[in-house]
Amino acid sequence: MHISEGILSAPVLVVEAGLTAAAVSYAIKKMDYKQMSKVAILSSTFFVASFIHIPIGLSSVHLILNGIIGILLGWSAFPAILVALTFQAVLFQFGGLTSLGVNTFNMAFPAIISFYLFHRGIKGKNHLKALIFAFACGFLAVMFSAVLTAMALSFTGEVFIKIAKLILVTHLPVMFVEGILTSFCIGFLRKVRPEIFEI
Amino acid sequence: MKNKSYLILIFIFLSIIITAVPAFAHKVNIFACVEGNEVYTESYFNDGKKCIHSKIEVFNDKEIKLTEGLTDDKGIFIFNTPESTYLKIVLTASAGHRAEYILELGDSGEDLLDSEIETKEIIPEEILNENIAFYISKNEISLLINEALDKKLTPILREIKKSQEDDISFSEIIGGIGYIFGIFGIIAYFLSRKK
Repeated sequence: MHISEGILSAPVLVVEAGLTAAAVSYAIKKMDYKQMSKVAILSSTFFVASFIHIPIGLSSVHLILNGIIGILLGWSAFPAILVALTFQAVLFQFGGLTSLGVNTFNMAFPAIISFYLFHRGIKGKNHLKALIFAFACGFLAVMFSAVLTAMALSFTGEVFIKIAKLILVTHLPVMFVEGILTSFCIGFLRKVRPEIFEI
Repeated sequence: MKNKSYLILIFIFLSIIITAVPAFAHKVNIFACVEGNEVYTESYFNDGKKCIHSKIEVFNDKEIKLTEGLTDDKGIFIFNTPESTYLKIVLTASAGHRAEYILELGDSGEDLLDSEIETKEIIPEEILNENIAFYISKNEISLLINEALDKKLTPILREIKKSQEDDISFSEIIGGIGYIFGIFGIIAYFLSRKK
């Protein structure tokens, strides 16, 4: 879902870059330096996850993991994803530097939305409810990212409905895989280290 | 102490993911060049592994199959140059991997991408008896060398161009992770000083 250089028009790039800058500065103000190892590990996980390709039809899609990153980091998901995307763009030409703001917003905004929607259920007492919420979190975070990506592309001339359908359909397996993955991770962390959910 | 053990667990989880990565970066390549009156093809995966016993089919520009065969244990398949100026060599490796290579041949079967060798003028008998070196100027020598180098280097250059595929190495990923930890370490340092 990384949008490369030279695809999007200038207004889209500038607007989303502005939104990302605002969110990142807010997140850094709120950040506690004691959380830093958690942020760094999840940023690295996001970095590596983008290289796990799932071949779909003629192309291939990759894991995003923004569901679990949102739950564990909250607003710090923005700087985490921004840093990971920067190094992907610089080291592997994966994505782009001008589209950094767009890509960060498209992947980090669903993360923070998932946090606000699901974190109470995931930290609650009922274990089964937490697992179901975790699945929904992973699933919907990817779906929302797909919609945001389609919106960004539609402002550059693509027909929104057509491109949205295409991205959503090709990422459907990713949504299911991430839902299950988030569920397993949250279940494991709840049992082994519940303090990790404190932000 | 508990802090360290959960960090180690997550690190192990990460390493498992990383080792799974190379298996998914699959793509096949086929390279072909003309040698005499045979076409030499070599097939390999993006990570360097050879395509063993994979099907090769050769089509002309009208999609008619001219010949076919299997690659050997080194991924090589050689066939006699067919009677066509346009060859599409298609490799079908396992699990739906496919690659193509287009060869455009001249009339006498040589690869058109190689530069043409100019016909040398016929040297008269009397001069042949003397030291020929006097009659070949420096310019001509460098021209000849350039032509010979072009002919030899063109297939190699094409090969280099093709091998500049996106091959993600393990060390690059580890490097990226190192950078990420470094950046957040610096941020943590400044945030802690603010308090």
